[in-house]
Amino acid sequence: MSLLEVKNLRVTFDTETGRVEAVRGVSFSLGHERLGIVGESGSGKTMTGRSVLRLVRPPGRIEADAMTFDGQDILHASEREMRALRGKRIGMVMQDPKYSLNPVMTVGRQLTEGLRLRDGLGRADATAKAIAALEAVQIRDPARVMEAYPHELSGGMGQRVMIAMMLIPEPELLIADEPTSALDVTVQAEVLAILDGLVRDRGMGLIFISHDLRLVARFCDRVLVMHKGLVVEEIEAAHLMEAQHPYTRGLLNCLPRIGGPRAPLPVLDRAGF
Amino acid sequence: MSTLRAWLSDPNPASRRQARLGQAWLAWQRIRRNRLAMAGLVIVGILLLVAAFAPLIAPHDPLVQDLSRRLLPPGTPGNLLGTDDFGRDILSRIIYGARITLYIVALVAVTAPVIGLLIGTVAGYFGGWIDATLMRLTDIFLAFPRLILALALVAVLGPGIENAVLAIALTAWPPYARVARAETLTVRSSDYIAAIRLQGASAPRIIAGHVVPMCLPSVIIRVTLDMAGVILIAAGLGFLGLGVLPPTPEWGLMISSGRKYLFEQWWVATMPGLAIFIVSLGFNLLGDGLRDVLDPRSASR
Amino acid sequence: MALIEIENLSVTFRAKGQEVRAVRDVSLSVGAQESYGLVGESGSGKSTILRAICGMAPVTGGTIRIGGQPVPTPRGRAFSAQVQMVFQDPYASLHPRHTIDRTLSEPLAIHGIGDRDARVVQALTDVGLPPAFRFRYPHQLSGGQRQRVAIARALMLRPRILLLDEPTSALDASVQAEVLNLLNRLRAEQGLTFLMVSHDLAVIDHMCDRIMVLQHGRTVEEIAHADLAAARMTTAYARSLFEASADRMLDGPVEPAR
Repeated sequence: MSLLEVKNLRVTFDTETGRVEAVRGVSFSLGHERLGIVGESGSGKTMTGRSVLRLVRPPGRIEADAMTFDGQDILHASEREMRALRGKRIGMVMQDPKYSLNPVMTVGRQLTEGLRLRDGLGRADATAKAIAALEAVQIRDPARVMEAYPHELSGGMGQRVMIAMMLIPEPELLIADEPTSALDVTVQAEVLAILDGLVRDRGMGLIFISHDLRLVARFCDRVLVMHKGLVVEEIEAAHLMEAQHPYTRGLLNCLPRIGGPRAPLPVLDRAGF
Repeated sequence: MSTLRAWLSDPNPASRRQARLGQAWLAWQRIRRNRLAMAGLVIVGILLLVAAFAPLIAPHDPLVQDLSRRLLPPGTPGNLLGTDDFGRDILSRIIYGARITLYIVALVAVTAPVIGLLIGTVAGYFGGWIDATLMRLTDIFLAFPRLILALALVAVLGPGIENAVLAIALTAWPPYARVARAETLTVRSSDYIAAIRLQGASAPRIIAGHVVPMCLPSVIIRVTLDMAGVILIAAGLGFLGLGVLPPTPEWGLMISSGRKYLFEQWWVATMPGLAIFIVSLGFNLLGDGLRDVLDPRSASR
Repeated sequence: MALIEIENLSVTFRAKGQEVRAVRDVSLSVGAQESYGLVGESGSGKSTILRAICGMAPVTGGTIRIGGQPVPTPRGRAFSAQVQMVFQDPYASLHPRHTIDRTLSEPLAIHGIGDRDARVVQALTDVGLPPAFRFRYPHQLSGGQRQRVAIARALMLRPRILLLDEPTSALDASVQAEVLNLLNRLRAEQGLTFLMVSHDLAVIDHMCDRIMVLQHGRTVEEIAHADLAAARMTTAYARSLFEASADRMLDGPVEPAR
């Protein structure tokens, strides 16, 4: 049975200038696998990810024919039931750790807070578990990082801490929204490797949201390509190069390549779809 | 009407004027959706109307005394809100008082923020010793209680409504300078300032054309929120005989004259107090609404 | 003769008693109509070099010469007419309360150049924007359109040198392609010299004739375009950058890391 089932998801915003449809009928199902959602800004990929946790702020509205997580209806679940899911069974990693970590609390306190409040662990147990989580994301001196404030960490380090924090409750599904976009390429590769290892070892489901088609293809099993709130193509990552839809092809081709020709880059024909 | 609306909301304005009016129209649309701000706007609008048409609205002359009808309670026929200790109609005095309140508010609103903006943006933009000097000057002004400083100034300048306004303006600018400086510090390091500097623009051009428009919203918001305080200081000065002089119907003055009868004839002080309360509330609501509309951080939405 | 010459440039920021040496002894020279790329990760000092040229960073050593002349401090209007810059974030580099028209005509006003209406319309056409956009505000434009406006602004004074600070890293891939094409076209049409900064080796490879790899404020290696494509770099760091480049990831078998 699939872990997450989404049928005909729609997200709409009522604004001064009229109704904006951010997501216009997206359906997918996810097992214990790595699903990539790719699209450019405004494609609705972030909103799709947030909808699963029902984290769309008013005036945004979520509608769907069905949305179930592990058999549980999350479309009609109460706010209380959603809180029990968020973080604990479904984790989320955002793009920029700078805005996701509390700047006035040490990393250690943020990591252990949930453990102590939710799971009722003692200080020593919680600290041990937090240090283990930091080690799992390959932070070399976890004791020092525990004492640090978020601003004392580099971008890559901060993102690792975020991932560690999300992994402590051992969620069954992790939603990663552009988790490496703010990072340098060499760090990016490391963070992805960590994420990948964790998904494999723990058998988590992963939704990996990114604007970078090639990155997603390398990292995921299956890719949804989104454009203007719709899924234009769903494809096995291994066969991405044989993508049929002109939008997917356009996205693949418009990136410059090292050693590529100096001719003008192919440009998406936006009128085509 | 619909053609005007289309012209205003045209995504491709054909001239500078149309672009600017279109933006103003959009801001108006936004403020119209904010119910509290509209309430504030209605209150301030009523204040304006009442002040403009005071002679037509007021049932009595605000200055005529009638000692046989002194201290009548509210609801007395002919004196809706009662009379004061000289038998003057409180409603009429409040209506005429709106003119004085508005006069003070308007004069302060056009002087203090201008001084504050100038000092704040200059200090923030240049930094270094200019910033240090101007800000210590601001600190000196901030260090004194506003009323005391205003008192000292009026004592030098002599009593009267213009001098009261001048004193209030001279004591009211430091907070604006602070706000403008804080805003300038964030704007100063932005890329668009770097870009215009790179185009060879002079400091006065950058400050006037690029920094001030970014500081203006927060200063305007601050001004509307400060108006209640200005009304109260004007009242305080009047009470001490250094601002508006009796028998001019000024709200603060009316409260202080009703102070003696607070327990037996509560309405004498309460009615003008209510007027100050409502007008202050109006300005505060409007200021909150303007913050939502004018805040540059919300402009991109 | 080299148009831009930088010799042993050092930039040191001082904050709260701490000294941060953002750029250390970097030397480079860019010929007229050449396109030169600076590549590095965050903290490599690549953007700081551009800012130092514009007088927006504290230079603590070395010299910067434009057209053989040492740059004056403050830079002044003659410098503005020669060197302009395009910034990374098109959402932050346009004044939010100025119309496109004002943003584009202001440089002309500063330099006392007439015929502004015609030149503003011409500039919009040059960067591929419809003239109807002239009186729009930045928030009425998309990211790519804003970046086009920023490029138009930089070209209003007809400079010889354009400094490009990650001009496409805040844009979508498809928009990036359009902006890169635009920049290449403008370079050919107006005979511009580019000094371009990017973290994306593929972008730099597409745009530049020579490339300098920077790390921690120091020069690691200077590579010619042909050598980069053939992976003939001499240092380990340059090679690791090359290997980690996103466009390499699809080459070879598609296989997740580890």
